[in-house]
Amino acid sequence: MTTRAEFLSGLRREMAKTRGLFEARTAERPPDADLVFETVKRQMAERWPQALERFQAEFERVAGVFHRVARLEDVPDVVRAIAREKQASRVLSWHPDALGLDLRQSLGGEGLSVTLAPDDDPDGEARRVHREAAAEAEIGVTGTDWALAETGTLILVSGRGRPRSTSLLPTTHVAVFDRHQLLESLEQVGSMLEALHADPARRMSGAVINFITGPSRTADIELTLTRGVHGPKGVHAIFVEGR
Amino acid sequence: MSETQLRTPFPQRAHAALGDAHLQEALTIATTKFIGLRKESFAGYPAGEALRDRARAIKEATLQRLDQHLERLADNIERLGGHVHWAATGDEARDIILRLCRDRGVRMAVKSKSMATEEIDLNEALEAAGVKPVETDLGEYIIQLAHEKPSHIIAPAIHKTKGQVADLFSKELGGRFEADPEVLTAVARKELRQKFLEADMGITGANFAVAETGTIVLVTNEGNGRMVTSLPRIHVAVMGMEKVIPTMTDLMIFLSILARSATGQKLSSYTTLVRGPRQPGEVEGPEELHLILMDNGRMRQVAGTLREALYCLRCGACLNVCPVYRQIGGHAYGYTYPGPIGILLTAMLEGTGAVKDLAHASSLCGACKDVCPVRIDIPRMLVELREQVDREKIAPWGERMLFGLARRAMASSALFRLGARLGRLAQRPFVRNGRLQGLPFFFGQWTRTRDLPPVAARTFSERWKDLERP
Amino acid sequence: MKASIMITCLGEMFFPEVGVAMVKLLRRLGVTVDFPPGQTCCGMPLFNSGYHHDAALVAARTVKLFAQAEHVVVPSGSCAWMVKTEYPGLLKDDPALRTQAEALARKTHELSQFLVEVLGVTTVASPFQGRVTYHDSCHLLRGLGESRHPRTLLQAVPGCELVELPGSDECCGFGGSFSVRLPEVSTAVLDKKLANVESTDAKCLVACDAGCLMQMGGGLTRRGSRVRALHLAQVLEPGEIA
Repeated sequence: MTTRAEFLSGLRREMAKTRGLFEARTAERPPDADLVFETVKRQMAERWPQALERFQAEFERVAGVFHRVARLEDVPDVVRAIAREKQASRVLSWHPDALGLDLRQSLGGEGLSVTLAPDDDPDGEARRVHREAAAEAEIGVTGTDWALAETGTLILVSGRGRPRSTSLLPTTHVAVFDRHQLLESLEQVGSMLEALHADPARRMSGAVINFITGPSRTADIELTLTRGVHGPKGVHAIFVEGR
Repeated sequence: MSETQLRTPFPQRAHAALGDAHLQEALTIATTKFIGLRKESFAGYPAGEALRDRARAIKEATLQRLDQHLERLADNIERLGGHVHWAATGDEARDIILRLCRDRGVRMAVKSKSMATEEIDLNEALEAAGVKPVETDLGEYIIQLAHEKPSHIIAPAIHKTKGQVADLFSKELGGRFEADPEVLTAVARKELRQKFLEADMGITGANFAVAETGTIVLVTNEGNGRMVTSLPRIHVAVMGMEKVIPTMTDLMIFLSILARSATGQKLSSYTTLVRGPRQPGEVEGPEELHLILMDNGRMRQVAGTLREALYCLRCGACLNVCPVYRQIGGHAYGYTYPGPIGILLTAMLEGTGAVKDLAHASSLCGACKDVCPVRIDIPRMLVELREQVDREKIAPWGERMLFGLARRAMASSALFRLGARLGRLAQRPFVRNGRLQGLPFFFGQWTRTRDLPPVAARTFSERWKDLERP
Repeated sequence: MKASIMITCLGEMFFPEVGVAMVKLLRRLGVTVDFPPGQTCCGMPLFNSGYHHDAALVAARTVKLFAQAEHVVVPSGSCAWMVKTEYPGLLKDDPALRTQAEALARKTHELSQFLVEVLGVTTVASPFQGRVTYHDSCHLLRGLGESRHPRTLLQAVPGCELVELPGSDECCGFGGSFSVRLPEVSTAVLDKKLANVESTDAKCLVACDAGCLMQMGGGLTRRGSRVRALHLAQVLEPGEIA
């Protein structure tokens, strides 16, 4: 088996034979990631209304369903309406600490069964239980870390109380967000990601960041577009004004 | 492609493809649609052109420090609790995976679409070792059921009509399914959902790996990439060594043009950034993450003629616009990677001898270079491959003789003029209605389907005397 | 204004009428035209098939032939491309020849580019009548970045009705030796092109490259089409439609 040292020394031998094809530079990075992070936040504190408008347009363009509510307390009503429309009864939700809302309290006992993601250290049994719930859930409710206006994309970081499959296994994904998550461009996302990874204090509790742009789709058969291949068939975004 | 199939000469494979009416129809529909989607996407994205230039520069700059970036990537992944393996060859990469399967008791592995794993024939090796590989990308699932190889870099089953897919599902899965993409997609969703939940291992490729953060990036649409990296207990990613990029800022530049080039989308449905195995506190995610960095012929090109081909993002845009690919489809090329970039990658992976015919499977029209998101000069490298074929005397002697004659005629105007006179004489029996038809020898390759103008009764030089002024 | 004609191998042997049309056209526009004798080929067929050493010998010969020219005008996008983009690289090992090649590259122009960019002419009077459609030859379009000037010139001819060819930027299938190495594929590509041509109901198909005209013209006559394949020069100077 090739060792790292062998591999790299072979590579360096090849690299030494050439100066390359032309003078080139990689992308210029923000010199101070924290500063950029704060700058973006400040900019978006002002520009969020335009970003929201753009987000809605792009989100709908990729077949997302956009909702707008005045207060966080209004979110369960929207979820209830979606459940009725889809004739669904099993809801999976991020843990209240991650979502900012306890759906089991507000929805449970109306013919809707709500499972919350655990947020303590899970053992094998807890994982099994959660996996079963996730496999059977019809609606998955999550928060949002960033909502990218340029492309109508929801960006979700995984972690404690915020499992990956909530936005993946159920047929319908519902994401809740407010103006603090809005970003305008992929470039800004890059800056935020740089800052996120550079600062140990901003440590993510999970290993995966998912950019979600519309429902799951494929065109593998005759280039005919179909939705809901393996992931959700529908994605909803609920914007909460009041926060 | 099987050994027997490869022994069929390329022109014969091309001939078979041209005679396959279903394939011709499927190719026209698919490539035309892809072309339109990409064009529309870039037409509405004026920033795109400059971003392509930047993306190309990032690829070149990364190659100039490739060793440092790979080291950084490996250090970061290991710090996060992942494992990094270094595979000089495809054989090694396969062996690493098989060993992992053996040591960890893996019986079933779900796969997200990965051309790197196609390149090393991983599925056959897994099956031989008693591990069941399950392709989960719809296109890959289809061709796995059909025992075929992918015919396009991003749409593996594009050569099949929906009727053919329905028949295939009905035969292999039992039941009778309508030739309706919605119905067929739902069938695949149901069949594969259980597999995701039961698999011991998830195997993916990687579109990029960010050195600075130790992140593996997957660009997908179906959601299977996410399933495969979250549900099984082990995640193995196989990645060509040239896919590493330095930072998150660099990543955004590629993301802004990759999906547009491939399918005309601004972003694919899912872009997944995987940073090590699951963290404490996560209720889901693999216990183990393995990244296999693969050479398999790439390292040699760092200082080779095909260096630029290492920029490739595997978007498939060049296939869609290639007049040859559009006529013969992916299988006729005979190797893992088809189309314009495929010829270069085949030379990279299998050596110059493998492309002695394929290097000429191009009219050098340049459409590929035009649409490549990182502006790879494919035609130039095809010509250089032709030069290598000539230098290594792989070209047939008849051809070399003919070009030798041509060279002499071009070097001497007297010979050139003689050639014209001889042509005028020799062509007489073949001139009909002022055109040449039915010519013998290799000229017949032209006149079988096209007329040729005869050598003019008076060449331009001969007519110049009348045009000359004192 | 003096211009030297680079007739190209195909022009010399198969399409001398295009060369003659070009000479008459240029003279009509006030250009003094000469024709350096002893021309053979630009060497592109050798180059494209990978015989670079041989192509360099041909390039050296050509460079010397045109050393005295003020401007060089070529009725072929691919040959102009070869001279302008590939000659300097082919001759890079001989500094003197390389300098000459760079000079030749600067002063060589494909016909439509010469008319519009060097002569500053966008309207050429011509008695040509009829609907035409224009094919973008690959090396003129992508190699030299030219798609506007031929159309401008065609549109300016009063009797000429230019209709856009669907897929005008798609290859005709010639590709030099490609046309006989993979004749079936070449013909399939050609058939697609000609179906588009016929769909325009044009009387003439116009292009600025002899290779394309041989391929497309050969296909059109073989299928008994009423569409004629013509070089741009023959539309602007129709006296030379053979």
